[in-house]
Amino acid sequence: MPGLNASLYLGLSGLQAQQAALNVVGHNIANVNTPGYTRQRADLTSSQSLIEGQVYFGTGVTLNTVQGIRDRFLDLQIYRETARQTGAEDRYAGVDAVSSIVGDTGDTGIGAQIQAFFQGFQELSARPEDGALRTNLIGKAQTMIAGLQTRYRLLADQRDSADRAVGSLVTEVNTLTAQIAQLNQQISSETAPGANNDARDQRKALTDKLAGLVGINVFEGSKGEYQITLDSGAAVLVSGSNTYELHTTMDATLDGHLRVESLVGGSTIDVTAGIKEGQLGAKLDLRDTILVGFQRQLDQIAAGVAGQVNKLHRSGFGADGLPMNTNNDFFTTGVANDPITGLPVSGGNFYKGMVDNLAVSASIIANPGLIAAAGSSGAQGDNTNALAMAKLQLAGSTVDTNGDGAPDAGPFSTMVGSLISDVGTQAQKWKTQGSTQQNLVSALQTQRDRLSGVDLDEEAANMMTLQRGYQASGRFLSVINGLTDQLVNQFGK
Amino acid sequence: MSFRTPSTIQNRQTLLDLGRTKERLAQNSTRISSGKRLTSPGDDPAAAALILDFGTSIQANTQFIKQADSALGFLKTSEDVVSAAVDHNMRLQELAQQGLAASNTAASRAAIVAEVDGIRANLLALANTKEQGKYIFAGTQTQTVPFTDGAPPAPPTWNGSAGAINLDVTASTSVTTNVSGDSVFLGVGGAPNASIFQAIQDLRDGLTGNSAAQIQTAIDHLSTALDHLTQIRTDLGGRQAGLLALQGNLSGFNLTLQDLQNAQQDTDYPQAVTEYTNDTTIQSATLSAMAKANKANLFDYLG
Repeated sequence: MPGLNASLYLGLSGLQAQQAALNVVGHNIANVNTPGYTRQRADLTSSQSLIEGQVYFGTGVTLNTVQGIRDRFLDLQIYRETARQTGAEDRYAGVDAVSSIVGDTGDTGIGAQIQAFFQGFQELSARPEDGALRTNLIGKAQTMIAGLQTRYRLLADQRDSADRAVGSLVTEVNTLTAQIAQLNQQISSETAPGANNDARDQRKALTDKLAGLVGINVFEGSKGEYQITLDSGAAVLVSGSNTYELHTTMDATLDGHLRVESLVGGSTIDVTAGIKEGQLGAKLDLRDTILVGFQRQLDQIAAGVAGQVNKLHRSGFGADGLPMNTNNDFFTTGVANDPITGLPVSGGNFYKGMVDNLAVSASIIANPGLIAAAGSSGAQGDNTNALAMAKLQLAGSTVDTNGDGAPDAGPFSTMVGSLISDVGTQAQKWKTQGSTQQNLVSALQTQRDRLSGVDLDEEAANMMTLQRGYQASGRFLSVINGLTDQLVNQFGK
Repeated sequence: MSFRTPSTIQNRQTLLDLGRTKERLAQNSTRISSGKRLTSPGDDPAAAALILDFGTSIQANTQFIKQADSALGFLKTSEDVVSAAVDHNMRLQELAQQGLAASNTAASRAAIVAEVDGIRANLLALANTKEQGKYIFAGTQTQTVPFTDGAPPAPPTWNGSAGAINLDVTASTSVTTNVSGDSVFLGVGGAPNASIFQAIQDLRDGLTGNSAAQIQTAIDHLSTALDHLTQIRTDLGGRQAGLLALQGNLSGFNLTLQDLQNAQQDTDYPQAVTEYTNDTTIQSATLSAMAKANKANLFDYLG
């Protein structure tokens, strides 16, 4: 039979265990609003029994571990979907920022301005002798060019700002991966598997942040350490306590924008195309694919307008009856022209930079009489070339979309329509995807909260129970104390 | 069974829903205030492309209506000139009939010549009419004086070119806005002896030469020229009527296009306002529920 001292220790173990468990409750309550916090539970078990003869006597209670209630596979899923959510949201924000300007369907839109330019030729065809109409046409051409350039430069600005974001996002990624690696170190050296709950929670919160920045795949190793790679698997970011930093370098083939590289063992791997999701993936996609696509369409439309007008312009005659020659194109472009057709040369880059360099020829601005409205020499009232150029606005095949130098699509209004519809479709696609991902992440987080979230009612109930337990243990101790007093002080009096 | 429902779950879902309600409210508010259903092309990419398409057609038709106005200007002036030439021709025929009468003496016939010369000068001025800065009877040589008098009363020389000046009035049709001066005044392309100036010379010769036979010939030629002029006038009138009808059609077509564009583009007010009201109710209810849900807690009841 256990002695009174043993009973005292039994009572003490009760007091200590209740207090420790209360401590866990307090920790839970304190962290009720901490993002990524996982509720903890004191894992109490009854202590090893003492055997007296054939009787097993309990020796009180032991606190085995403080356990975090988590589902690590759910965490891994949330990282992946979070990256997709921010990826879609950032892409939507990028496209939405330009959509109402590029996609203007009204009188100030590109479509209306291109049409107004060609209508300038129609007006000129009614009175080719009229210098005012020639000046008017030049004005309309310049308005159209300004309209195209405003859109083009807006897109360029958006790409530049995405590029600046890439630089700062990479720095943030490196900071986070370094912190995660440090926590990996703490976790893999924990006393018992799962013991270092708070380090895990911190790591989870940091990885959540990391997933928002860049698309990642996370695996948990045998010691609980995270292995983190880019979502495409192109590079490792964190492996146990090691980090592999990302670097950025200016790259001329990316229009002077930043290339993202991973530094592994002294050699660098270009991972720019290997980052698909998260803010970084979205910025890279906007910068190198989505916005470039819109710019390319503008370049192609501009090349179509300039090339087709120049081609006809060369075959006409000015107000002075002199034939135009190759030096008297209506538009000057930054792109080389084919010497025979007068069409700009695609050069394998789909007329890149066409809009940026487009201008009305300086000699035509200086002398509007050089506009070749006439189709034959020395007839000032001849408007056949002006009519031919005006007809281009509705002509079927005026824009080269496949870069082979020959027009294959049109008319211009349809091309502008398809650009607008492209912009709209991209915005709609990423908005829908953003909402869907938001729903998914929210559902996953709800699932995680059901399991790991702190419920204050539950904590209050636990607190009450533990308080009672503590009180009862205290009571038990005082009873044993009374017995000891009886034994030591009262006997033999 | 019951699921654990920590308060974070409730808050997250309610906040998400509340955010979406506010987003819809903002969108509908823009729709209501701007009158446009699409706040950006992303709202309905297909409709955005359609709106542009309708806009392009409307803008093109409006321009064609303006082109037809220009063409009508030139045609109307030409018709006025030809009508005046017809009037002059008729006066010449009266004078010729007057000169043909047997009672005439050489002196009385010579007296008529003065008026004939006056009419000839008028006709020459008409033949050199300018409209909106260009000679309308010079073909495409619109800055060249079309008729110059070399040796009156011989017919004047035509310096113009035969080129037609066309204007596009629809995507596929064009209208010729001029008639060639040599056709109107020198009878080229008409029946033989349809030149009014040649007939004047004949008449003048008959009158000064006191020859009834020559005057009779001139009367015949004047009559041929009159037929030719009337025919040209009819043609000009016909072209104008065609253009007016076309303008009517284009305007009507534009109204239809505008309707179609509006259907895609404009806010459906009953729907927008209903949605807006509905969302306002949802928003207030959500806020009120949120305020209540976070109130109740077991801690409130622990002593």
